[in-house]
Amino acid sequence: MIETAIVVAIIRILFVCIIITAAYIISTRNLLSVVSVYALQSLTLVCIALALYSLEGSIVLLAIAVVTFISKVIIIPYFIATIQEKIRIKRDIEFHYLNPTTSLLISMALMLVIYMALARIVQGTPARENLFFFGAVLGISLMLMGMMVTFSRKRAITKVLGFLSMENGVLLFGMFVTELPFIIEFLIIIDLIILVILTTILSVGIDSTLEDYHKRLHRFHLLEESEEVS
Amino acid sequence: MNFDFVLYLVINTLVVIAISPLFVSLIKKVKAGTQGRQGPSVFQTYFTLIKLLKKEVIYSPNSSRIMRVTPLVTMAAILVAALFVPLVFVPEPIGGIGNIILFLYLLALARFFMALAGLDAGSSFGGMGSSREMSISAIIEPTTIIVFAALAFVFKTLNIFDMFALTAATGSPATPTLILIGISLFIILIVETSRIPVDNPETHLELTMIHEGMILEQSGRNFALMELSAAVKMTVLMALLINLIVPLGLTTSLTFAGILIAVIVFMVKGSILAGIIGLFESSMAKKRFFQLPSLFAMAFFFSTLVIIIEVFS
Repeated sequence: MIETAIVVAIIRILFVCIIITAAYIISTRNLLSVVSVYALQSLTLVCIALALYSLEGSIVLLAIAVVTFISKVIIIPYFIATIQEKIRIKRDIEFHYLNPTTSLLISMALMLVIYMALARIVQGTPARENLFFFGAVLGISLMLMGMMVTFSRKRAITKVLGFLSMENGVLLFGMFVTELPFIIEFLIIIDLIILVILTTILSVGIDSTLEDYHKRLHRFHLLEESEEVS
Repeated sequence: MNFDFVLYLVINTLVVIAISPLFVSLIKKVKAGTQGRQGPSVFQTYFTLIKLLKKEVIYSPNSSRIMRVTPLVTMAAILVAALFVPLVFVPEPIGGIGNIILFLYLLALARFFMALAGLDAGSSFGGMGSSREMSISAIIEPTTIIVFAALAFVFKTLNIFDMFALTAATGSPATPTLILIGISLFIILIVETSRIPVDNPETHLELTMIHEGMILEQSGRNFALMELSAAVKMTVLMALLINLIVPLGLTTSLTFAGILIAVIVFMVKGSILAGIIGLFESSMAKKRFFQLPSLFAMAFFFSTLVIIIEVFS
């Protein structure tokens, strides 16, 4: 078994990687790289799960690592990449309410607030390890940052990616704080895959904004009424 | 002031002046490579500087004394700033040397005089360049301060020499958070040396130029000094980034062999970083002026995060 100090150091480096990927997803305008960065983020999560497994030896962590690797590093990015090939848009430059700079600044404030709030909650309980505490903070921050991506982007495809990155946050939080039952983790991942498959099927309109989507369906004669109208 | 320190002053200044033109041409070479061109030789910047040194200086009739002193002041300020960042050999710091805040303000002094000289010649391009440079520096200044504050928080010292001594002793980045600071420092490097998302170092188009606009009226050996000082500034900032993140090869004892190895290792590390800068520049388009704050926000975000992590944990 590897030495604990080294594993902790590795986990800290992986935390830093997660922060970087989250900041990239929230601020980039380049659609092509968002998917690969998302895959990278999931891969980092897999590495964290493996490192934690070597620390704690719980078999659930190993299962989580395997399932995450198969679904989030391979299947979901593959589907989204397929969509992107079809729709041929490369940039996402429309934003609701918040532009990337503001979202970055807000997410910084969010992290600070979460840090303080969690510190207060943890205070009463027997002192937890620093690492686990920081993992929890990062998990919730990732969740909220993903949420911010979801509501600040106009393109449906980036909304989906924001949602996926939000789920990564839940997973991270689950790994470090509460032992989420494995079955729930598994169900969430199945949900995610179905969500992505649905977006693939709906890819006719996925490059439009949600407001435009209806018009787009009319144009492609995909709605029944449209034929009657025309 | 002991002998070691005097020797350090000489070595550091010589190395930084000798190496910096090489890095400038290396970046050009990498950029040319990505565009499918052969590009100028890696020694081209040396040739250009030598050629410029031989040419006569012409002053515009409108220009005042500022035009005459600016190249000297800029070069002097940047060379003193270069002494604050040990490239190959870290001695015991003496007096205020190595202080982060003084380092930043030496760079600001050089920039201030450059902007003044841009206005001084009375050409409209110079004025435009100066005005843009000042707007950008007003925006990047808080970010720079925060990044260096984060450094100070991580190392618990305000002195660059002490930081380097610490990293050189361990041989690896002190904490993972240094990776975050590294990204911020990279962004500052890009902004301070007027590289592509901020400014295009290759154009003389009135619409895009910032740094080039300010030194448009310089000629002859004054121009050579301005170019060299820009190159030295870049090398100094690169050295700061390199020696903090990858301190491998940095020596704290003064031996001939040690210094020689350190110089070679530094050149290798610097060339790699120059290659990265070249690739980064080639992969990006110049940003619109009003979109620049989003680039700075990234650096600001990472370094504030480091401070949060350092303060609370």
